[in-house]
Amino acid sequence: MILNSVVYEIVYGRKDLRVHVPISSCTLAAGSQEVYNAVEDYISRTGINGEVHRVGCTGLCFLDPWIMIAGKGLPVAIYVNVKHVDVEKIIAKYLNHDFSGAYALRFKEGNVDYGIPLLDEKPEWKNQVRWVSRNCGLVDPESIDEYIMTGGYEGLKRALKMKREEVIEIVKKSGLRGRGGAGFPTWLKWKITYEQRSDEKYVICNGDEGDPGAFMNRLLAESDPHRVIEGLIIAGYAVGATKGFVFVRAEKPLMADRLEKAVNEARKKGFLGENILGTGFSFDIEVYRSAGAFVCGEETALIAAIEGRARPRQRPPYPATSGLWGKPTVVNNVETLAHVATIFQLGVEEFTKYGTEKSKGTKMFCVTGAVKRTGVYEVPIGTTIKKLVYELAGGPVEGKKIKAVQVGGPSGGCIPSNLFDLELDYETLQAYGAIMGSGGLVVIDDSGCMVNVAKYFTDFTLAESCGKCLPCRVGMKIMNETLERIVNGEGREEDIELLRDLGVTVIKTSLCGLGGSAPNPVLSTLRYFENEYREHVENKKCPAKVCPKLVTYVINEEKCRGCGVCARYCPVNAITGEAGEPFRINDSKCIKCGSCLINCPFGAIEKI
Amino acid sequence: MVKVKVNNVEVEVPQESYIIDAVEKAGFKVPLLCYLQGLFNEATCRICVVKANGRVVPACRYPVQEGMNITTSDDELEKMRKINFELLLATHNIHCWDCYRKSTCTLSSLSKELGVEGIPVCSECPLYGDECLVNQGIPCLGPLTVSGCDAECTRQGALCIGCRGFVSSRDVWRNAIKFYRENGIRREDLESIITIFWIVLPIKLREIIDEVYKH
Repeated sequence: MILNSVVYEIVYGRKDLRVHVPISSCTLAAGSQEVYNAVEDYISRTGINGEVHRVGCTGLCFLDPWIMIAGKGLPVAIYVNVKHVDVEKIIAKYLNHDFSGAYALRFKEGNVDYGIPLLDEKPEWKNQVRWVSRNCGLVDPESIDEYIMTGGYEGLKRALKMKREEVIEIVKKSGLRGRGGAGFPTWLKWKITYEQRSDEKYVICNGDEGDPGAFMNRLLAESDPHRVIEGLIIAGYAVGATKGFVFVRAEKPLMADRLEKAVNEARKKGFLGENILGTGFSFDIEVYRSAGAFVCGEETALIAAIEGRARPRQRPPYPATSGLWGKPTVVNNVETLAHVATIFQLGVEEFTKYGTEKSKGTKMFCVTGAVKRTGVYEVPIGTTIKKLVYELAGGPVEGKKIKAVQVGGPSGGCIPSNLFDLELDYETLQAYGAIMGSGGLVVIDDSGCMVNVAKYFTDFTLAESCGKCLPCRVGMKIMNETLERIVNGEGREEDIELLRDLGVTVIKTSLCGLGGSAPNPVLSTLRYFENEYREHVENKKCPAKVCPKLVTYVINEEKCRGCGVCARYCPVNAITGEAGEPFRINDSKCIKCGSCLINCPFGAIEKI
Repeated sequence: MVKVKVNNVEVEVPQESYIIDAVEKAGFKVPLLCYLQGLFNEATCRICVVKANGRVVPACRYPVQEGMNITTSDDELEKMRKINFELLLATHNIHCWDCYRKSTCTLSSLSKELGVEGIPVCSECPLYGDECLVNQGIPCLGPLTVSGCDAECTRQGALCIGCRGFVSSRDVWRNAIKFYRENGIRREDLESIITIFWIVLPIKLREIIDEVYKH
């Protein structure tokens, strides 16, 4: 664990007041840069002996933008959903010992009861095991000193004192499995690469995260980039590599910038370059900005992208024997490498405390969609879906019921709510038609149509298919067209069987992992929600009333007061009537845009 | 050398070989399309899939391993090959009537082998170019109907009346009807031949005829 004194030093700083403002892509989108400027402005204007501290993101996205204020002798308070105009008021109130309005307290001073819960008591924080994300939202991601204060690069020093076999042995003992989705044992990858005879070997950090609804790699690399770099150096040492690459999408500029800065600072401190820390091991890292494509998450496509053209190839040979430029190559996910660094910093025993028999440790999960608290939560592998969705993410929005959760993004499958007692681990999810994937969970409530959800994901994989092999290129197109037909109410009886046959063929015969998992959303929704498909095909009805072509808008004559608001909002003049009398919708003109439904003051418009 | 079993026949092949080499050595056949020995070996068409130790892999690109158990054909494999082949046909602009490949077309021979009804009789018809009946203004049904009969009728100089039924692809129908029209075949003549199918004539085909002959 991080020494408490270190945390105190980082949290309180050396001045009277320290205000922590998160600067990462997600908080920037919520307006944290303005907040940062406002705090800076306030401090310089009032002349307080204070400073503003840039930190990464905690992963609690529903709180963005938040600030954490730490004054000498005062509790550390967290204020959430802050607007930049309110910053002055908040800080002034805080300095007056009035903590009302704070979301939670990070630390208390002494045993005083302030009437505000500690963050450690909040369900979204208390149920987490912050293992790999321990520094996220705490340290300045652009400062190597703060990382070193929290025990950073200690793991590297420890590893460099060992023999290469010993390093691999420790990773084997930890039971760490790839966090990118497939769950391949990390040590085995390393060992095979280590045993290859070659003048050059490479290690690559796969930061090409592309699933809709998954952003834990970006969050980790933006909030604690040095942890990833340290893990990559350890991996490089273990396999005897000469060079490492960090593969980042250019469309995530902050992530790439921070990793680049981390590499440069690590080089200055002697953790990279010739003769690292006097051990004779030479290694350097290049941050590679790719144009970004979903298929680059596949390791052979990623390697091909660095070589020039992003297209997967048939395996074997596996990259461990013939990878980048034909040399043995290890490709590890961002989170896997961060786990490696943490394991070497804190010891294997700490790591193996968590997790299940077959998969040890923790995993970061992104919970998005129809929940109260969207965000990234790090929990031990083997946590139930119920706990993650209901306790950590707060369950459904008021008045709704959760229907299913899509695990693993567009390559994963959906798990219906009656199976929420399942544990999140590699084998269980696979058995139920989903995959761990990168760990994105998209929660769907009863206002979502499962056929539409499946179509959404095939739209995505269809657009991202590289087009090299036939089943993925054409098969996904046909599946997408079939789904399109079904949601438009033109589905035929045989379409359901067609989707099943085609899906299985695409999965089994595709060249790479993209095609090998792309039909999963369709197959899993067919498995658990076939009745919804049947309803679309046989009765031409959408049970969730989502698919526009299968929905009819009508005016409830009892509720309608004849105000005519709907007619004014209707873009195609489909609504007519006399003032004071119930209005009518002409279904042949109606384009199902829904603007009457939103604007009716009496709730008289209904979907059937 | 590596020992493998192909459909329970044991063969020995060099270490570096692919499954296809072993299959051929054992005397079996796997349909091949994109693979060209020594030239192209990217395993993109996925027609040559076989089962190696129960796992579906492309024969042309998957290396053999000691003791590997290879199955070249079972119901599941046949079904997958057929589906993949149909996917391929769906993206192929079929114009067999003015394509010179004829008997050298692998697609057409493979469609017969896999039992896919997607390629018209013209692919087998020997009357190419000036001798083509449609080119002479005769409403032969070859462009519209399923091959596999070895074009028995047109070989004798008679016009094809399409006893094997229409090909499944609407794109082929459209191309074929356009072909009739370009060669000055009148709608009435075409319809008088198609009358055989009139009861089971797909509505869509009638629509296409209307559409093509309208302007």
